[in-house]
Amino acid sequence: MHTALKTLLALVLAASPLAAHAESWTYTDGAGETITLDAVPQRIIATEDAAAALIPLGIRPVGIIASSQPQESRALQGLDLTGIEMVGVAYNEVDIEKAAMLQPDLVIAEYWPGDREWGGGPAVTGQDGQLRALAPVTGPAQLDSVVGLIEEYEKLATSFGADLSTPAIAAAKANFERARDAFSAAAKAKPNLTALAVWAGDDGLWVAAPEGSAELMDLKRWGLGFLKTGLNPDSGYWETVSWERSDTYQPDIILIDNRKPTNRASAEAKPTWTAMKAAAAGAIGEWPAYWLRNYSAYAGELDKLTAVVAAADENLTTAQ
Amino acid sequence: MTVSAPTFDARRGVPLLLGLLGLVAIVLCVAFLSITVGARPVTLDTVWAALTAYNPDSTDHRIIWELRLPRTVIGLLVGAALGLAGAVLQGATRNPLADPSILGIHAGAALFVVLGVAILGISQLSIYVWLAFAGAGAAMLIVYAVASLGREGATPIKLALAGAAMTAALQSVISAILLTSPRTLDEVRFWQVGSLAGRNMDIVIQVAPFLAVGIVLALASARLLDGLSMGEDVARALGQRIGLSRAIAGLAAVVLAGASTAAAGPIAFVGLTVPHVARAITGPNYRWILPYSMLLAPILLLGADVLGRVLAPPGEVQVGIVTAFLGAPFFIALVRRRKLASL
Repeated sequence: MHTALKTLLALVLAASPLAAHAESWTYTDGAGETITLDAVPQRIIATEDAAAALIPLGIRPVGIIASSQPQESRALQGLDLTGIEMVGVAYNEVDIEKAAMLQPDLVIAEYWPGDREWGGGPAVTGQDGQLRALAPVTGPAQLDSVVGLIEEYEKLATSFGADLSTPAIAAAKANFERARDAFSAAAKAKPNLTALAVWAGDDGLWVAAPEGSAELMDLKRWGLGFLKTGLNPDSGYWETVSWERSDTYQPDIILIDNRKPTNRASAEAKPTWTAMKAAAAGAIGEWPAYWLRNYSAYAGELDKLTAVVAAADENLTTAQ
Repeated sequence: MTVSAPTFDARRGVPLLLGLLGLVAIVLCVAFLSITVGARPVTLDTVWAALTAYNPDSTDHRIIWELRLPRTVIGLLVGAALGLAGAVLQGATRNPLADPSILGIHAGAALFVVLGVAILGISQLSIYVWLAFAGAGAAMLIVYAVASLGREGATPIKLALAGAAMTAALQSVISAILLTSPRTLDEVRFWQVGSLAGRNMDIVIQVAPFLAVGIVLALASARLLDGLSMGEDVARALGQRIGLSRAIAGLAAVVLAGASTAAAGPIAFVGLTVPHVARAITGPNYRWILPYSMLLAPILLLGADVLGRVLAPPGEVQVGIVTAFLGAPFFIALVRRRKLASL
């Protein structure tokens, strides 16, 4: 009788989903913390950036925290979000009840070493963030390469049980490699070309420091030259320049932050925009600022940039 | 103490009138500086050429016409509006710390504009201004209603507390809507600090009629404010309708604060400080305090803006930050030197 009960119990346990994933799961995150779970996490809540990386790799989170409505999120563009719950649609905010109902095993966010904070906002994913009451927060660090970041996500997805050998994933990667090689060839053909990445603000022109942006560092690595700018008084990411002094920097091509679709139009509406020779010459491309997380999106942006670089005059300005 | 409404006293009136004329001259000087001084050095000859023989192909000429002129006009109008709004609010609430920022009016206006732009995708300035009014009015009504709870009604201290709480709450909502990520603070900064930069003549044309109405309303309420400043009982004895007086003054403040927020974002401190400076010069009579505030405030605001343009080249310091830096020590000194006249 006693034995029979034990056998029955063992059978019940074996049939339960818990036992199927009874192997433990461990990951060392971008902040250097190692996390260990008893089982491979099944129910993941991801920030929009992490979701943009994981969905194309076949890992579908149960919930997404975004800083805007999904249709306005550059990162989530073109991804199939059916069946995924939006648990946050404003920066630094999360619908904690909705998130709790999803019963997450894990939250995937990104660590920004420059800011020493997790993406999604300190009140959501930070050390005392609301989500930490539901599940541990982990994820890769935002370093100096989007490709490196995608590779880190590939490891993460594999550890969740994703199969990365599907034809769709392979095709996306191959297409990215083609776009990268084309960009690199175009950039290396113009060694004197200098680029400047900007955000056109109302109160001034915001000039980006390439070191603060993983995608700009990738472009640099593949052969695109960036204009040297002054020290940055504001933060590690931007230097602001008065619109009266918009001719402070004279690059051969300007890359405008394309997170906001109206950014180029508001730049062109500024009376002194064309004091930059590249703006007057129309040598303007898009800078996919901080939102690229998968090979398909990257390939599309690279193809646009390749066309701009190919059409640019590397001797438009003499600046080095 | 007499219970008659104050009348024109020649011994005080003549010097005060001359003082007003002096202030007009200083306003003109500051406006001249605002057109000639900026982040980019432009020679006086070039400024003159830009104003008399405009050449759209010259970057310098475009800077004068399309950046500095609108900025100067906005600075003058918004300054006058802020100074008057602060003086009117201080008089109507009899609270020496009242100003559009402290009472939550700025934050209300800013929030409605931000909501309109972010959620409804509004870009027409004509709608923008109305949103700012609606937000300013709603915030003021809510603050007043909250402060009126309890036995003694809307006391100055309860108004200030309710307003401060409102401002804090609304600012956090504004940040949440605007902050797409910590890596872009551009628009957030504008709606938290305010700026005269990057606004063109369209916005001036759009808000100017409203500011004109607000200025007339505010100046016309001088008599009512003088009545209120004698205390509610005295004002009632003089036959004044307290509620109506406060409503008119409140309307003037909402129009002025709403229009100035639509034009330049929420700029704090000007409306708080300037009426005290005016009062120190003129004494307690609102018929003088109001015009003095209206002229002193643009001097402070535009002067601060000019300073901000040359402080941190090649960038600029937003005017709201400079006014706080300039105004704060001055204000503290004023408070320490003379007991703030209880209003």
